[in-house]
Amino acid sequence: MTETFYQEFEVFSKRTPNAAFTHQFSLLAPNKEMALLMAQENFMRREPVVDIWVVKRADIRGMTPDEKLMLQRLDNKDYRTTKGYGYLKKKWRHYEQQMLDEKEIMSWQGGDSK
Amino acid sequence: MTETERLALASLLYQLADDDFLYAYRGSEWLGLAPHIEEDVASSSIAQDSMGHAAMYYQLLEEIGEGKADALAHVRLAHERKNSVLVERVNGPGYYMENPEYDWAYAVVRNYCYTLAKKVRIDSLKKSSYTPLAALAVKVNMELYYHLLHWQTWFTQLYQSTETARQKMDAALERVLADFGDLFDYGEASELIDEMRLIEGQGILLDRWYQALTPVLVDLNVTLPEMKMTYNGRNGEHSPDLNDALSTLGEVYLLDQSAVW
Repeated sequence: MTETFYQEFEVFSKRTPNAAFTHQFSLLAPNKEMALLMAQENFMRREPVVDIWVVKRADIRGMTPDEKLMLQRLDNKDYRTTKGYGYLKKKWRHYEQQMLDEKEIMSWQGGDSK
Repeated sequence: MTETERLALASLLYQLADDDFLYAYRGSEWLGLAPHIEEDVASSSIAQDSMGHAAMYYQLLEEIGEGKADALAHVRLAHERKNSVLVERVNGPGYYMENPEYDWAYAVVRNYCYTLAKKVRIDSLKKSSYTPLAALAVKVNMELYYHLLHWQTWFTQLYQSTETARQKMDAALERVLADFGDLFDYGEASELIDEMRLIEGQGILLDRWYQALTPVLVDLNVTLPEMKMTYNGRNGEHSPDLNDALSTLGEVYLLDQSAVW
């Protein structure tokens, strides 16, 4: 009984309605109603929050050290990112700054401007 | 406002201030002793909130010429205090510094019954004819939602846990109700308090308290013990527990009353 009476809960909260939930702390409580009460006064009494979640740690499927091997990856994924197109912004700025003179406008008609 | 009316207003404010002051003091004695660390922080925080409420009432008393708020809280003698006897009772045998054998069931039952009564009073005070008091009630009400939820959760969960817990809760409820008789009493000034519409009458508030409590008790299959009154705190009648509390809480203040903090 005493071994399992208190359970570990993980506490999440968010500061504004549009913010994401952020993990805060863990605490001990006998059930989730009590966990929510404790979360409020223990972690939120000095800062405003708009919402709180409590999750029993036992309900979280975490990773064992062995399973963490699945996170390994080669660091050669540049070709999958759009990082290579970073120069585009600079190119646009270059064109936007060019003077719009008569010569330039005439050139758009495709005519011979000589 | 005539002088008699001012005194009636002061009498009600003393009742409200002294109630929260002693309630907060008894709550703060639990610091370091509550059943687990999270509850220790949570219940101490509630005690501090309640001390803040008392300070607001003492401030209103200062504004109507009763003297400095700090002195009103610390210096007044037991027979001048108007708190309900319920909130002055010790937490249990022993002293918080030495062999405290405090009774958590009593704390939960007292805090729940008191907070529910406080909620009923605050809701009525929101319509008080004395506008500074009505404004104060709106502020205090914001914190009461959590306080009430906190103690109601403890109350229902302890009643639903083990047979031993149930017995302790029953015993505590009996002791709390034995001191509850003066809680909604307004003492000697009650007629004028009623006439001035500072707060609704004792009978109305008591009914609302029963109405709010009954469904909770029915769910738990608990019968409310008989409500009694041994002392009427509203008229300055108190148990010896109050004297001990006052000498402890005033110890530092009374060392040098002219000290600047």
